Formats: sequence, C-alpha cells, structure tokens
Amino acid sequence: MTYEPPITDYDHIVENCTCAFCGCNCDDLDYLVKDGHVVAVRHACRLGASKIMEDMDQRLLVPMIRDEDGELKEVDWDTALDTAAEYIANSIRPVFYGWSETSTECMKEGVELGEYIGAVLDNQATICHGPSLQAVQNAGYPIQTLGEVQNRADMCVYSGSNAMNSHPRHMARYAVFCRGYFRQRGRFDRTVVTMDPKFSDTAKMSDKWIGFEQNGDYGFYNAIRAVLKGKELYQDVISGIPKEDIYELAEEMKNAEFGVLFFGLGLTHTLGKQRNIDIAIKMVQDLNKFSKWGLTPMRGHFNVNGFNIFMAFHTGFAFGVDFCRGYARYMMGETNTIDLLVRKEPDCFMVIAADPGAHFPNGANQHLADIPVIQIDIHWGPSTELADVVLPGSFIAVECGGTSYRMDGVPIWMKKAIDKPETCRDDEWIVRELKERVMKLREEPNVLDAYEVNPNIL
Amino acid sequence: MHYANTYLEKPVVPDVKITGEGNTKVLKCMLNTGSDIYQGACKKRGSTLKQEYKNASGTCYMDPRDMAKLGVNNWDTVLVKTDFGEVVLNAAASRDAPHEGTVFVCKGPWANTIVSHDTYCCSDPTYKGIKCTVEKTDRKVLLMADLMRWVYKKYVDEEDDDVVENMESLGERPVYKGRKWEELIDHDL
Amino acid sequence: MEYILKNGIVYDPTNKVAGEKKDVMFKDAKIVEDVSSDAKVIDVTDKIVMPAGVDPHAHVAGPKLVVGRLYRPEDSRRGVTAKTKYIRGEAGFSIPSCPTTGYRYSRLGYGTVVEAAMPPLEAKHTHEEISITPNIDIPALPLFGNNWFCMEYAKENNLEDMAAYVSAMLKITKGYGIKIVNPCGSEAWGWGMNVHGVNDKAPYFDVTSKELIIALAKVNEMLGLPHSIHIHPNDLGHPGNVPTTLETLDAVKNIKKSSKATIRDQVVHCTHLQFHSYTGNSWKDAASGAEEVAKYVNSHDHMTCDVGQVTLDETTTMTADAPMEYDLFKISGLKWANKDIECETAAGIIPCIYSGSAPVSTLQWAIGLELFLHIDNPWQVCLTTDHPNAGPFIRYPRIMSWLMSSKRRMEMIDNGEVHKWAHKRTTLATLDREYDFNDIAIISRAAPAKIHGFADRGALTPGYRADIAVYDINPNEIDPSVQYEEIEKGFSNALYTIKDGQFVVKDKEVVMNKESQNIWVNVKGYEREEEKVINDIMPFFTQYYSVKWENYPVHDHYVSNPIVVDVER
Repeated sequence: MTYEPPITDYDHIVENCTCAFCGCNCDDLDYLVKDGHVVAVRHACRLGASKIMEDMDQRLLVPMIRDEDGELKEVDWDTALDTAAEYIANSIRPVFYGWSETSTECMKEGVELGEYIGAVLDNQATICHGPSLQAVQNAGYPIQTLGEVQNRADMCVYSGSNAMNSHPRHMARYAVFCRGYFRQRGRFDRTVVTMDPKFSDTAKMSDKWIGFEQNGDYGFYNAIRAVLKGKELYQDVISGIPKEDIYELAEEMKNAEFGVLFFGLGLTHTLGKQRNIDIAIKMVQDLNKFSKWGLTPMRGHFNVNGFNIFMAFHTGFAFGVDFCRGYARYMMGETNTIDLLVRKEPDCFMVIAADPGAHFPNGANQHLADIPVIQIDIHWGPSTELADVVLPGSFIAVECGGTSYRMDGVPIWMKKAIDKPETCRDDEWIVRELKERVMKLREEPNVLDAYEVNPNIL
Repeated sequence: MHYANTYLEKPVVPDVKITGEGNTKVLKCMLNTGSDIYQGACKKRGSTLKQEYKNASGTCYMDPRDMAKLGVNNWDTVLVKTDFGEVVLNAAASRDAPHEGTVFVCKGPWANTIVSHDTYCCSDPTYKGIKCTVEKTDRKVLLMADLMRWVYKKYVDEEDDDVVENMESLGERPVYKGRKWEELIDHDL
Repeated sequence: MEYILKNGIVYDPTNKVAGEKKDVMFKDAKIVEDVSSDAKVIDVTDKIVMPAGVDPHAHVAGPKLVVGRLYRPEDSRRGVTAKTKYIRGEAGFSIPSCPTTGYRYSRLGYGTVVEAAMPPLEAKHTHEEISITPNIDIPALPLFGNNWFCMEYAKENNLEDMAAYVSAMLKITKGYGIKIVNPCGSEAWGWGMNVHGVNDKAPYFDVTSKELIIALAKVNEMLGLPHSIHIHPNDLGHPGNVPTTLETLDAVKNIKKSSKATIRDQVVHCTHLQFHSYTGNSWKDAASGAEEVAKYVNSHDHMTCDVGQVTLDETTTMTADAPMEYDLFKISGLKWANKDIECETAAGIIPCIYSGSAPVSTLQWAIGLELFLHIDNPWQVCLTTDHPNAGPFIRYPRIMSWLMSSKRRMEMIDNGEVHKWAHKRTTLATLDREYDFNDIAIISRAAPAKIHGFADRGALTPGYRADIAVYDINPNEIDPSVQYEEIEKGFSNALYTIKDGQFVVKDKEVVMNKESQNIWVNVKGYEREEEKVINDIMPFFTQYYSVKWENYPVHDHYVSNPIVVDVER
C-alpha cells in the first residue's frame, strides 16, 4: 500500500458511528462525509475502514432476476419481489440463511416470514461458532463484557484466534493495550498468551506463544485441567508442549487476578470441534476456584451474536431453527444449513447479508446450483454467481440504522449516517415485503385450531 | 471526489529467495483455512470480482522450505488436491512460518473447493486440518466469477471442466443486463 | 366499546370488595362506573372476577434470560407447542421465549409483570425483549447495588449527586425504580470474591453494603419514586443468613417515606424473602428462620416482601448475585454461566433441580409457605417464585392451592411427597391457616400494585385500566381446602383476561397478540443537577466504559409505546 495523504475535503463529520464489521462493534468511528458519501473514516481498523469505504463497482444497486440465458437482468422492484415470493411460497423446505450482517429489526420480519411459511432460519454461527454454542449448552458460559476485561484483566489468553488479523482493534480497544481502572499501565499490567499452532501476528504481540500441534487443543487443555486438579503429568510432551511449560502456565493462570480466555475458529474448526470448547469452558470453571476467570468467543460478524440472542428470545433456540412442523425445532447437525444442503433437502434458499458462495464448502454449495437462490445483499459477491433473484439492500450502520449485539452481548444502536442509493431498499423493508407477498400467495400451513398444551409443563 | 483508498492488489508476503532443488513432484501437507486481514478487508469491501480477491483468497501460504522442495517462488501457481476437490492457487511464503508441512489458504471460493463438508453432526464443516497434496502447475488461478462458473456450472450448459476453465473470462466487473451502475451513482474511484 | 361483566363474584381488595356479586363495567380501555344501554353484556354469573394479576418480581426479559435460553435448549424443548390461528408457537418451561411468556401470563389472568433486574449497559436488550412480549405491561428495575458511581457517592455520602445520577439513569435506561442485588457482593465477584453480612466492604471501594443501602433508600425518598428500594440482601441462600436479612431491613427503618409516594406504605421491599430466612451454619444443620423473620415483618410496617416460593420443579436460577451462583455450581456441578457487566453488576445462571425428595429443596419449599402463613398482614407479602429462580411463574396457581388448603400441605408432608425435613426443621406442619379468595387477590394483584405505586392498575376503580381476570371458579360452591386441584386448574387458565379493555383471553384461549408497554419513571426538576453529574462522570465514562456515551442510553426507538410516570420535584 502506498502512502496516501489524509482526506481534507469533506463537508461534515458524523461521530460515534458503529463499525459493521467484526464482533467488536467499535462504536467510536467518525465518518467524513462529502456530498452524501462517506469519503474517509477515522478510528477504524483496516478491516472496518475497508468495509465502510466500500467498492462501488460491485455495489448491488438494482433488483435483478436470471433470464432464460442464465444471465442476470435488471427488473423493477415489484417483479423481483414477486418472483422471490413465488419461489418461497412454492417451496416445501425453504432455508433462510444469513442475518449476521443485518439488524435485529430485519430479523424480526424474517422470523415472522419463516414461522409463517415453515422455513429453517440459520445464521453464520453454523459455520463458525456453532460448536461453541453446542459446547455452551454442554458445559456452561462464564462470560463478561469487554469493559470488564479492560478494567480488570491481568491475563489475556487468545486461543485459536488471530485477533490481530480478524479483530484488529480487540487488543487495542478492549483487552490488552488499553488502560483500565485497575490496570492503569495498560499493556504493561497484563500478560498475554497466544495458543495457536501458527506463530500468528497475535502470537508475535504476546508474552508467550503456546504452539501446540495441529488438533492438539483438546489434549493440551486436558493436561492443564489435570494440573489444576493437582494431578501429575506422565508424558513428557503433550500435544507438542513440554510438560514443564504446562505446569508453569497452569501456575501463572492460577495466580492471575482476573484472566480471560478469548477463543476463535482455531478451536471450532479442528477435529475436536465442540469438545475443544467444552474442555476450554471447563478449564475456565476450574480456574475460578483459584481466581477470577471468564471467556469470550471471538464472534466474527458484527451481529452474529445478535441473531443468536434474537432467535433465543423469539423462539427459544439460538440458530438452526426449523419451523416446518408449525413449532420451533432445533437439533445440531440436523437443522443446520450445511447439513441440510449436504443432504440436499432444501428446495429454496434465501441468503440475506451473508455469502455462502464464499464460505460454504463445495460439498454444500453444489446443492445451491440445483435450487432457486434469492440473495439480499449490498455487494456482488460469489453468492451472486449462484443467485436467481438479487435484491439490493442497504448498508446497516452507514445508510440505515439498526440494533446489533457485540460479541459480549452488549446491544448497540448503529445509527444511520448517510442516505442509501435511491434504487436500493432497507433489508427490513425487503423482508417485510416478501412476507406480505408470501402471505397473499399461500395460506399458512400447519396451524392448529386451538392451543394444545405440552404435557411436559403440567 | 477523492475517496480514501484501501485497495491493495496483492498481500504483502516475505520476500524470500527460494533456492530449492524442486525435486519433489507432489508434496503431502496438512491444509488449514481461515481468515487473514487481506482477505477480510477485500471481501468486506466487496471487491470479490477483482484481482485483489484472487490474490488474497486464492493463495496458498507455505513454509519456504516446502516451497523449495517443490521449486516454486512467490506468486508461482500450485495445484492443491484433497479428497474433496482440487484447485489452482498462487504460492506465497507464509508470514507465520515456520510451519513446515502445513499450508494455509484464506477462506473463499478457492478454499471451498478443497475443504471438507463433514460436520460430524455439529453444524460446522471441517475447515482445518485436512490432508492435501501440493504440486507445481502451469494452470492459472481463476478469477472469482470464472471459478464459480468452473466449480458449480449453474448457468453454463457445458459439463467438461477443461472447457469451462478455458472459456472467455467473465472479468472483474459484474456481468448483467440493465442500466450501468455508474449511471446510478456519482462515483469516481 | 362498552362491556358489562355481569353477576360475577368480585374480589377487589383495594376497594374493599371481598366476594360480592356485582357487575364490572368498562369502556374502551378504562373501568367505568356506568355504561350505556349499548354495552355488550358478558355473563359471568358466579365466576370469580378480579383485577388482572400483578407480578411484583420476575425475570422475564433481558440479557441473562437470553443466556439461559441460549444454553438450555432442553428447557426450550420442554414447552414447545404449535402455533394456532391466533398465536405463535411456544417454547420453554422455566425460561420461555418472549411470546410464550406473554401468552402464559395471560392464561393466568395477569396483566403486569415487573422485570426485576436490568443491567443499565444492556438495558436496550431488556427493552427489545419487552417490546415483543405480548399482552403484559413490563416495567423494569435497573440495578444500582454494585454500580461504581453509586458506591463512590455512598462512600462520600454525597446524596445530592447520587439522586441526580439515579434520576438520570432512570431516563437513560427507561427504568422504573431502584433495584439492589447483593450490594457490594457482585462487585467483589469481579475478583472472584463475595461480601458477607452488611458490614463488609467491596474490595477497593471503601464502602459497606449497609452504607450503600441507606444512601440509596434516602435517595429513593428524596426523589419520591412511586416504588421503594427493591432489595435482594446479601448472603442469599446461605444457611444462617437471618441476621443479615434483619440487619438490612432494620438499617432503613427510620427513613421517612416521601410525601409524594402516596400509594405505597413501605420504604423497602425485600424480594424473595424465602432465600433469606435460613438458620444454621451449613446445610447440615440448616433450618427455618421463617418464624423469626415473619415476626420482624409483623412488627414493622416500613417493609414489604415477596416470597420466592419454591415449586419443586427443575428450573433455571439466574440472578445478579453472581457469587451465589458459583457457590451453587460448586455444590451441583451443573453447567454454570456467568455474565459480568463492567462498572455496574454481574449475573450468574445455573440449572437447578428442586425435588421433594431432597432435604434442602424441601426446607426451602416449607420456609416459603411458612412465610406466607406466619406473616399476618397479606398486604405485606406478595406471591412470587422469583421466576424462574424458585420455579416458573406458571406454578402460581399451584402455590395458591397450597395456601388455600392446609389439608393438601399435610398430605404432602405425611405421604412423603416432600422430605421429612419439612416437619423436622420447620413449623409448617403446625400451621393450619388457610388463605381465602380475598387473601389470594391481595397477594397476587392488590398488594403488588400498591407496593409498586401503580396508580392505574391492580384494582377495579373507575378510571383505572380495564385489566380484569375472570376465573371459572364458583367461590360459593367450591371448598378449596378439599378441592385444591380444582383451585389450581381454575387459576391456571382464566376464562377471560382483559387487558386495557381488550379480550386477550376468551373462553380460556389466548386470542390476541397485544403490544406490550414499558412503564418508566420520569423524574422532573433535576435537569440541572443531572447535567452536572453527567459532566462529572464523563471523563471516567469515556475512559472505563467500552461504549461511547452517545450509544449508552436506551433510545426512543426501543420504547415506542411507553407509559411514562412523571414524578415532580
């Protein structure tokens, strides 16, 4: 990247905007606005700045449907919405996937549509922190807000998470470098440990790098737990780590005043999957016998946690919620998008504010080539190459206000700073329109005449 | 109008001179995928049709010793194969090396063709820790739109991989019928 | 639209109507004295008519509820039902989803539920949940008992600034009153510790729990809030906690009630008193302290309480008393969740299996009933389960049946439905008092409404909201002492539940999704002081909170349809 002089030509600044990139939801961004466009952004990291300074070449601006040549063709909003509504109304196993990059206000419309038609609603957790949620359901969930970390933590552990690359301001704003009430010297008052097979950029910033071997996470945490329980380690090297180092680390963790474990996809994507998180949670629970410890999953999208929270309070389940029988069902590995696609169950797929084309394995995406795909998004991406209907939404936190939930569950109102392009519509409006059109096209399936109480609650 | 620019054609990689023999034809490795800051910035800016995305996501980061075994230099191309598929990628020296025997590919359509869709009943595919082979190749890394056409063939009648791979490129701009987006927005990046 | 509910047997304790046959009339959203001849007549001959229920303390909306739902799909599955023509599908038993919560309260004939703990930083979340919970109005109590600013003000005895801060925070969080949970203890939990007794200090904050409680109680009366301080004392659930409980209550007995608070009598409301009435030194020798605590209540009118009755179910406990939840984890080993909130509070969550065959559960069950039966004045005690902590709210009718039938209680003790600790360690077996329908009406609507200072509900006074419940029970024919099963059944599903003049339950079926309303207190006249206090705290806030001040308050977007209670200076 070459040096660029700062932008000085702008009309006004919109302060305290919220970044719509990762789960840090930094709410201190300043947008420099000229002629109704954001021309520069202050305080954001490289990722946030890059998203806000979007690529207008690929901005979706008009509704499109595939024509008989297999090419996308611009149509008016009515035609596009009617086509999409027909696909949904005529399906028997629709899946509405995405939601993590839109507002809870939009999700509200989505869950109403999903419950009406009997769809599966799922979000990106299914391909990132799904195993974490499953582990939380097995083992518990000791968390804290990021301000707690800032003010109290004297030990931060990043496990399977390369924060410097995926959450670049996490260490600076919330966890490591920032001054806290009880940690006035910031970085100097904290011990930072990175656990990762790679010597990642985060590891390079840490006091200690635990480079356990690939798929060695479970064994490593198991060893720490054993040491915490006063057991002796019989092997000299466990998961590639000498046992002396494990003793030393366990002792350090016990002696921390306030420790936090941040974990990322390095734990959820490897062989042990949810078992890795299980044991990490249990380790944190064990550590609380000696001092204060908590954990936080490093959520990727700015509202991926929001969807899980939203679905939990709306339907009782966090993600992968299947309404096909007229009530909410949730079963890990059955009602989740990847499993459904691999089993070739869905006959209609709506993707909103997500990009399966970019992030689903080939084995799952192959099914998208066989069924109608409706895309609601702001940019032309890999999923557009598979989409049959394209509905251009608006950019939450820049062009449209909305609620999001940070990785630690703190809700933030993301305000609107500029107007959206005239030809685009808000996500919330699009989904509401689809809902109303589907309701006209098809009578609600699976409705009981009268309430039947579940005998398990009597 | 002057906009702050975050476009970067290629990720910055260690400038190491590879002096290996290149005696190994096919190298057995462990494949990891995930995100890095170049891939994230490009993807979320929306520049997925461009060279930048191809170079950020369609790159196989390797330990220089592994590169030496194959005799590849930065930005040469390699073919990576797994039980789940194959794809042509750029080779580049990893910033996180040493990790001999392990290659890293950022998530994206390229990585998708070679990762495992097995969830083991826990919703999440296996994106990390997959056995793969890496070999030197002359084939080119495809741009995103071309890659999607080659892998999924949703809107081409042709079934043959080689034919689709060598079709005329869809390019770095959206291909569609209708008003040009430049007309809809005053934008002069 | 005008209606007459004709020939019902009315229980309206506030207006001293106890089982009279009379008509209740309402027009549009309000109860009226008279209606025109066009009024629609609903025949409710010989059926119980009461004001809609008021739950003074339940956890129904907010961040810790969601952690519960998120990590207990087994609980959600337990209550799943399919959607009907009128309502959405339900889910959940102890932690039902938001729509489910609204429907189930409607079936019980309830119209108002106070959300008992709202962390200010995450108040938006609480309000998001309130806005999608249908059919009930939900005021929420923000937490102040471990707030760093409040602890500083209390230490300096700076009541003026503290009052302005509380006043500002009620506006910022759209809150209803002052909730205090384990004062100083949840802050100590920030370091994995707790405080014990009211004279213990939070680490680094040179202030005791007692000083903080007194300061907040004084501030409450300075501002003249409709509700008193609402306190969950220290040492919850610890054997031998009776002295802490009594010391807490005694600390505020000389504080004078504000003249602006005309509806309530108390200056302190002690919540889930059952959890605070244990004697002994450990669970080995624990026994009931209910008699001693009740004696205190009977001789002091500055306080009221709700019980937190254990219902002997598998439930989910969740409280801002986070260290207590970790203690439970150490005992049960069940999956433990925790949620600390910077500079404000903490929370802990853990599933809990209360079983009649377990000695401790039984002891807790018996202590709750003892409190109900030992406290003489029903206006001082409310019916709660501290939902979901001691049991889900759908068990209220069962508790009513226990209170109305000494026979049933003895049966449970005699036939082994509960552990022998019930008669060995409590006085329950010696109590033959039985509640009548009027007492039930007091503890489930009239008293909670009075305690919270509601001036528009909890009674059938003309001009009040038309929040009415009709139960298919004939009080002249039923013998609750024997027919306790019919009592439970009758109160479990109202024949009609009317909210703001609209029939949300008709013929025992929920037929409506009525938008709920948040109730919050707007203190007027402190604007200048509030501005000063906010300026004072701003440098601290900017440095040590993880959000910007602009993004901290609950914007109007989240409370689109509030009921604002104005309090003039």
